[in-house]
Amino acid sequence: MMPLRRFAIHRPADLGEAAEMLDHYGDTGTLYAGGTELLLAMRHDLLRYEHLIDIKAVAGLDRVERRDGHLYIGAGATHRTIERSAVCRELLPVMSEMEANVANVRVRATGTLGGNLCFAEPHSDPATLLLALDGTARAQGKSGERMLSMDELLAGAYENSLAQDEVLTGVDVPLPGPSQRNAYLKFQVHERPLLGLALSLELDDGGDIREARCAIGCVSPTPCRSEAAESLLAGPADSVEQRLQEAAAALADEAALTDDREGSAEYKRHLIGVLLHRAARKCLNRDG
Amino acid sequence: MSDDKGRDFEVVNRSVPRRDGRAKVSGRALYVSDVKLPGMAYAKVLRSPYAHARIVSMDTSKAESRPGVYNVLRGDDLEGLNPYFGHAVKDHPLVAIDKVRYAGEPVAAVIAEDELTAYEALEFIHVEYEELPAVMEPQEALEPSAPLLHQREFEAGALRGFEGEVTAGRGTNLCQEHHIKWGDVDEAFAKAAAVVVAEYYFPMAYAYAMEPYVAIAEVGDQGVTIYSSAQHPFMVRHDLKTIFDMPVSQIRLIVPFVGGGYGSKSYTKIEPLVSACAWKARRPVKLQLSVEEAMLTTRGDDALTWMRTAVDADGKIIARQAKIYMNTGAYAENSPLVCEKSSNRCVGPYAIPNVQIDNQMVYTNTVPASSFRGFGCAQVTMAGESQIDELAAKIGMDPYEFRVHNAAQPKQEFFPGMRPFDGTLTQDLKIVADNLGWKEPLPDGHGRSIGCSASDAGAYPLTSTAVRVHADGSASLMIGSTELGQGSHTVLPQIVAEELGVPFDLVRVVSSDTAITPYDRSTGASRTTTLMGRAVQEASREAMEQMVRMAADVLGVKESEIATVRGGITCGEAKLTWSEVLTRYYRLPDGEVIGRAYIRKDGDFAQLPVFWEAASTGIEVSVDEETGKVTMEKLGTCGDVGLAINPALAEGQDIGAATTGMGIGMFEELEFDRNQLLNGNLLEYRLPRFSDMPRTVKLELVQNRDGVGPYGAKGGGEASLNSLPANIANAVYAATGARIRRAPLTPEKVWRAIRDARAARGENES
Amino acid sequence: MSKDRPALVELRFELNGKDVAVECEPQQTLSEVLRGRLNLTGAKISCEVQVCGACTVLVDALPVSSCTYLAYEAQGRSVTTIEGLEGRDRTLHPIQQCFIDEFAFQCGFCTPGMILSAKALLDDNPDPTDDEIIHHMDGNLCRCTGYVPILKAIRKAAAVMKEARG
Repeated sequence: MMPLRRFAIHRPADLGEAAEMLDHYGDTGTLYAGGTELLLAMRHDLLRYEHLIDIKAVAGLDRVERRDGHLYIGAGATHRTIERSAVCRELLPVMSEMEANVANVRVRATGTLGGNLCFAEPHSDPATLLLALDGTARAQGKSGERMLSMDELLAGAYENSLAQDEVLTGVDVPLPGPSQRNAYLKFQVHERPLLGLALSLELDDGGDIREARCAIGCVSPTPCRSEAAESLLAGPADSVEQRLQEAAAALADEAALTDDREGSAEYKRHLIGVLLHRAARKCLNRDG
Repeated sequence: MSDDKGRDFEVVNRSVPRRDGRAKVSGRALYVSDVKLPGMAYAKVLRSPYAHARIVSMDTSKAESRPGVYNVLRGDDLEGLNPYFGHAVKDHPLVAIDKVRYAGEPVAAVIAEDELTAYEALEFIHVEYEELPAVMEPQEALEPSAPLLHQREFEAGALRGFEGEVTAGRGTNLCQEHHIKWGDVDEAFAKAAAVVVAEYYFPMAYAYAMEPYVAIAEVGDQGVTIYSSAQHPFMVRHDLKTIFDMPVSQIRLIVPFVGGGYGSKSYTKIEPLVSACAWKARRPVKLQLSVEEAMLTTRGDDALTWMRTAVDADGKIIARQAKIYMNTGAYAENSPLVCEKSSNRCVGPYAIPNVQIDNQMVYTNTVPASSFRGFGCAQVTMAGESQIDELAAKIGMDPYEFRVHNAAQPKQEFFPGMRPFDGTLTQDLKIVADNLGWKEPLPDGHGRSIGCSASDAGAYPLTSTAVRVHADGSASLMIGSTELGQGSHTVLPQIVAEELGVPFDLVRVVSSDTAITPYDRSTGASRTTTLMGRAVQEASREAMEQMVRMAADVLGVKESEIATVRGGITCGEAKLTWSEVLTRYYRLPDGEVIGRAYIRKDGDFAQLPVFWEAASTGIEVSVDEETGKVTMEKLGTCGDVGLAINPALAEGQDIGAATTGMGIGMFEELEFDRNQLLNGNLLEYRLPRFSDMPRTVKLELVQNRDGVGPYGAKGGGEASLNSLPANIANAVYAATGARIRRAPLTPEKVWRAIRDARAARGENES
Repeated sequence: MSKDRPALVELRFELNGKDVAVECEPQQTLSEVLRGRLNLTGAKISCEVQVCGACTVLVDALPVSSCTYLAYEAQGRSVTTIEGLEGRDRTLHPIQQCFIDEFAFQCGFCTPGMILSAKALLDDNPDPTDDEIIHHMDGNLCRCTGYVPILKAIRKAAAVMKEARG
């Protein structure tokens, strides 16, 4: 058995107290929001903390609700909560579907969106999808709230850009209009995905693509987009379909792929093309 | 043995529910990990970060002075013990002495009041190492310039399980070699109508017994008592006898339920280390490894097999030659026997007139390898059954028909000197072919394969048992066979109930306590139903013979006047149950009779193997050619088991073995890089899951009662694994035209092979 | 507070229908408390990385990996372990009985977790399709059975439970 080293648990009543605790404990403390990744890393001695600040006790952080033109997903919402949320299923079904396939049923019951994003594990499903959906993170610090794009939040592998006293409170995801088509696909061999690919297309009345956002995850330190790919993905549907391979190559270039145990850079490059074709077919209803 | 072919069975050959069912579904089944002894301390192990290094110095004082720490066990402080163990080759120190031979080898153990305290103390041990060059591949390890793992000469273990010499310890990294030769292969290949020659690889695999290695030891005035998850408690006892220089009567191994074995808990593992901790700390000590530590303890032997096979113009196999390099890692463990068995298993199940097999088992600086379900057969059947398909393709024959055309026939001595074949492969193959719909058309992207194997199984026949029949008509069965999940605690009392005519529920099983239960060599090699089953049958009959004599005594008649009937005897008008016989004999409604049996290499068991473990398996796969992902759509197995004492349990063994074979065929492989195990955890070592299982599964048993076990039974439980990796390679070939000779067939490997095959055919990648 | 020994947690929760109170250390997992302090050893420890499911228990009816679930989080919650499934009259839960009937285990090490995971499914979705069973159970590993008998047992248990509800 691999025991966890000793630490103290703190349960702030509100975000202000949480921010103060984070500030106070500095490098010896960290937020605890579900533990499905943090506790594994601590068990393997990859991380050591003397203080865990349990943010889940803070009221209201687990809400999933419609707010203006956004779907607000609280950082404390578990994968399961999001998967089961009626409002998420109705307004952003791609998010529910993605969450239904994160890890396994036990991880989904305890792991939270906030924990997942802040831990910044490169194989995160939610991070990749939220990047494509243009989600905005809300961070609350001692001096107030600030908004960060997913790109800004995810600073690197296992690294977020929150200040010492900041807490991620939730994510705002713009509600898709009737002309938006979204897909999230992943390919997995081991316990974590080898590649995740999220595609979000804005169609015009004729079914052509007005705007595209596409993100790939798992194959670079943080999920990434490619401007070149997205411009190739916009335009008349038929011509976009001709350019999918080129767009996939642009994404692969952007990701600066490397060989690892999940697969060679060459294989990942190939799979980006496969998943992009499949996602495009799904978005454009080409699967029949 | 009396002929009972015409017998109507009452209890055996029926799928009675598992004896351990209620305990296992209610969480009450006791495993060693659940055992706590009063005053028990806990050990944690410090492991080497280097694959090969000299231990220059070790400072344990800081760790020892921490609150709650009792002792630190180290390799230079074992005065009074014989610290090397190994039933085949005594090459394995219970904790590293002077040097380490693989990354992950135990170098010290902290014994403390609880696990966390022991664990926290580990980082206060300071070890200075001088790193030595490491060697990870067998062929490199055989180079004269290769770093030498073992400098000592070794004694061959008396219980090594084979008759040949041990070749370890002769100044090279060769651990064992084995050679087989008959006929003239060169001449046969020269005149062959077609030949296939290629190289195949079977990976290092991890058995993943869900319960990692665990043991509790106590060393006291009575000797050494160990609770262990060992498959072979009597073999472990023999190793500990040497370590402590005590008679076997003073070494007691107790094995409760075992959370999976699959060979990985065969022979001695952590028992020497934990008993040395208990000896040092003078209190009971528990050592519970994590899965990640278990992955650093034992793995399966990987094998690189060069093989060529030849056929004549009639499609008859006329020759096979193989050169095998196997990798035992840092210590011999049971690999010398795996070396012999894998060599033997290159031949079957085909009758081949010219054979030459040369096998070298080599030490490297990797995790020690030992027994793993399939035991050498799976390794070489990857080569053999792939090559059968390649050869069939070459001569334009259907691979199923090619197998039927060449399979060993019943009673044929296809391996000179060994027991004639006791199975019916053509029948087995036909059942699987029919269940797969062999001739039916397939959708695009699908492929089918069928395979078979035969292993010289059963290990060495040395087994004993006692059946105690109590005066109230119940019985206790004393067996040294461990319940690993295979169902021995259900199958064996079925035999007692069948023989004595007492209800199954009245037969209690007492098992696996070397101080109490009679000797049984091992629980492995699919031997328990055959050997222990036969012993249980004979012991039951011996108890009945005694009770017939008792009945003659109480009735005042000659034994010859007494007839046995189900559950008792008759004599003229008189009819007595066993309970009545015993009660009248002892003149008290209590007391018992003890029936005994001893099985040795004699009589039905004089010729080895004890039986041929044969099976056929077949699969249908679909291949996503874009990603290379293989999905198993159908699985068919046919176990050639003689007679299934409990058919549901026998079929359960077949699907379980096939699933492990599928795992190794599709994704399981321990990988090393820069001298370290790279994927030593379950996040990265991929095991078969629910969603990997085929939607169509057809399990069948052939029951010709052609074995030497009770009622004609033979063993099962490994054979369905052996042909699965080759089946996957063959089915992928059938689906895509890409031939892959290295397992596992991961998506990337399949994708590359498809691309290469297309390029070779002159097609563009689509 | 001492840096080495953080304060103990006074833990109270409902365990298999009864209130329990126990002290634990903050870093202790639920499985350590269940197995070590409360002598409920049905939850087994295997992979310790939330992959295998052997340690599954239900917290407020949801399956969690008790090896990686901090014990203090059970405060005020309802925990169900395998030991809590039998009825007071010792009748087995239909899932337990179906596991026996269908030979859905061999070594038994995965079984408590399998059964609890299946219970969470069937309590939430009484009539699951095979695909739903497989999706839900995909995070519980078994090295012995090849899963097929477990699928059959869960299917059968769903039918038995449905019939019992009338």
